[in-house]
Amino acid sequence: MTAVQIVFLAVAALTLAAAVMVVSLRRMMQSALALILALVGVAVIFALLGSGFFAVSQVVVYIGAIAILIIFAVMLTQNSMSPEHSQMNPGFLYAALGSALLFSSLVFILSMWVGFYAIPVNLDPSVDTITVLGLSLTDPQGFALPFEIVSVLLLAALIGGIYIARDHHRD
Amino acid sequence: MPTVNDFLLILPEVVLLIWALLILLIDLWIPDTKKYYTAVLSAAGLVISAGCAFALLGRTGSAFSNMVVLDGFSSVLSILFLLSGLAAVALAYDYLKRNAAQRGEYYTLLLFSIAGMMLMASANDLIMVFLSLELLSIPLYILAGFFRPRLASEEAALKYFLLGAFSSAILLFGIAWIYGSTGHTDFPGIVASIDGGRANYLLLLIGAGLLLVGFGFKIGVFPFHMWVPDTYQGSPSSIGAFMTVATKAAGFAALLRVFLVLFPAEAPIMAGILWGLSAASMIFGNTVAIAQMNMKRLLAYSSIANAGYILMAFVPYGNPVIAQEAVSSALFYLLAYALTSFGAWAVMIALEPAESDGLLLQDFSGLGRKYPWLGAALLISMLSFIGVPLTMGFWGKFYLFKTAVDGSQIPLVLIGLLTSLVSAYYYLRIVMFAYFKPGEPQIQPGRWASVVAVICAAGIFVLSFIPTPVFQFAAQMIMGMK
Amino acid sequence: MVNDWVYIGLFILISLFLPAAAILIAGWLAPKKPNKIKNSTYECGIETVGDTWVQFRVQYYIYALVFLVFDVETVFLYPWAVAYRQLTLFAVLEAVVFLLLLAGGLIYAWKKGALQWN
Repeated sequence: MTAVQIVFLAVAALTLAAAVMVVSLRRMMQSALALILALVGVAVIFALLGSGFFAVSQVVVYIGAIAILIIFAVMLTQNSMSPEHSQMNPGFLYAALGSALLFSSLVFILSMWVGFYAIPVNLDPSVDTITVLGLSLTDPQGFALPFEIVSVLLLAALIGGIYIARDHHRD
Repeated sequence: MPTVNDFLLILPEVVLLIWALLILLIDLWIPDTKKYYTAVLSAAGLVISAGCAFALLGRTGSAFSNMVVLDGFSSVLSILFLLSGLAAVALAYDYLKRNAAQRGEYYTLLLFSIAGMMLMASANDLIMVFLSLELLSIPLYILAGFFRPRLASEEAALKYFLLGAFSSAILLFGIAWIYGSTGHTDFPGIVASIDGGRANYLLLLIGAGLLLVGFGFKIGVFPFHMWVPDTYQGSPSSIGAFMTVATKAAGFAALLRVFLVLFPAEAPIMAGILWGLSAASMIFGNTVAIAQMNMKRLLAYSSIANAGYILMAFVPYGNPVIAQEAVSSALFYLLAYALTSFGAWAVMIALEPAESDGLLLQDFSGLGRKYPWLGAALLISMLSFIGVPLTMGFWGKFYLFKTAVDGSQIPLVLIGLLTSLVSAYYYLRIVMFAYFKPGEPQIQPGRWASVVAVICAAGIFVLSFIPTPVFQFAAQMIMGMK
Repeated sequence: MVNDWVYIGLFILISLFLPAAAILIAGWLAPKKPNKIKNSTYECGIETVGDTWVQFRVQYYIYALVFLVFDVETVFLYPWAVAYRQLTLFAVLEAVVFLLLLAGGLIYAWKKGALQWN
């Protein structure tokens, strides 16, 4: 086993444990903090795959902005912060069984696929992946149209978010 | 460099988006008492965009290296979305004023959503499918909660948002599986990979299934319908009307194109699933609607049943001849359903007082005597929903059933006929209240909702005399579909 | 590529180790004679009032929301900026359109008072 594999296993275990904590901890604030840990784990996995840009994006967007947003949301909703309620649905056992079944069958199907055993190849170090990404994002033969649609999408989300969050009682 | 042609082919979308941005900014300086300027401006934008779409009718081609295609299918649907948007503006005009919710964001978000639908109908790359789905959904989440802080509206938005976000994630997961199987997200690349035998069939099948779930939420078929009644009831009525027609049509647009282009090989397995979804939607929607006394909830369950009818023709899509027919009859039915649904919602909006959660059926009592025009519009809409001759609904169901028979889906057709009979009970009950029960309904100030109701009813009636040209137009339009 | 990350990993490990060591060693070595006053929360010498879990104002949330949108915008513009020297004029204009659209959003947020603290 190589060092990278050991690091991967450790990080994957940490990410999974943190993800379980997100749904099992009784205080929502602690769940939010566990979520940050899980997101860090995902960022490390991106880095291990040689995708530095996505690792940094993960930290900047998910931890830097979304986690903060979630913490603010938790702090806003005071009533649901009480740790007394039961965390389980009546049907959680069936849901857990169904999820486990779905997960194992998906893994089984994936394991029959050749790509599952492909060994990651190192990228050509002379090619800067971020430059390639930047070029293809704005290339009209590439992703120029989706790039602009993303901007519209962000705009719509911004308007919608502000509209919903504003206090309409005082208008 | 992109050519002029690239921009020309997406001109209606570009015009609409630029217009939406301008309205967003102009509205900031329009005082609260004069918000009808924003409504008029947005209607003008919709008309201009529809003009561009009409001018492009019959033209085909792909833009931005196959990100989007323009063909008859996308053109016709674009026009349908734009006209639905126009109806949603007209229905909102007096309705928002009545509910003291005349805010400019309604129009901006509506325009964004329509642009997303138009892109969805012409998307030719799974990334575009996903982005346009988000672009049509996110504004609708907000519009469903537009009456914030009213609780019912917030509930509608929250339920729609949670299940919508969930279904988007499932759709994205499906795209990942397809990408894993074929190494492409663009439709031509995926097709080439499948034809070249390089694609993993099983992975593709799972991807197709996940996409079906994602689209199933948008079109609201059983069992992905859970959000439909609460969301349609809690949303502003003009948005409820818009969603029953346009969102459903957009979901079907993506579903039809993606399945016809990418998954013809999966048809034998998918046909069984589609069969189940269609039958369950028809049975569930029509039987549960019987128990509804609230008009909005009744129309919501009716929309679930109608999604089942459209899906019925699509079940044998693996057969190329039937597939052509299925798409034309689906387009025809969407047109008929759009007129019918807008007609019914418009009558309700014309009568709906402020701060209401939807009229009860009893509230229609005496409508036929007091307001003959509105009563006639309601009558025609209900007859069209049932599929009585001399309405567009009849021809819509006729072509759907005919396609299903041609595809030898006899049991499904029988279910469709029987559930149509069942549906006659609850649709006619509304007519019974409107014509045979005494009552004093009160039409609300403002006439735009009544105008929409009468126009839709006239459309249902008049077009029913020329079904063949309309159907042939639809069939001719989709001939160039890639 | 991965080797570059080893330094960052080491850095994180050391930065975790130092404060952890300081706290743990202090915990082991320090004599423990607790009483009520020593156990109370220390906050600049003033006694604490109420719960620490207070409800935030919605304004924080709107700020975070606006920040999130522009944060995602940055992520999209970063690769564009890195590739800037190789871009065509059209690609530059595209990013300008991208920025203009979101500038419209900023004007909206500004005019609606979402950036205002009241």
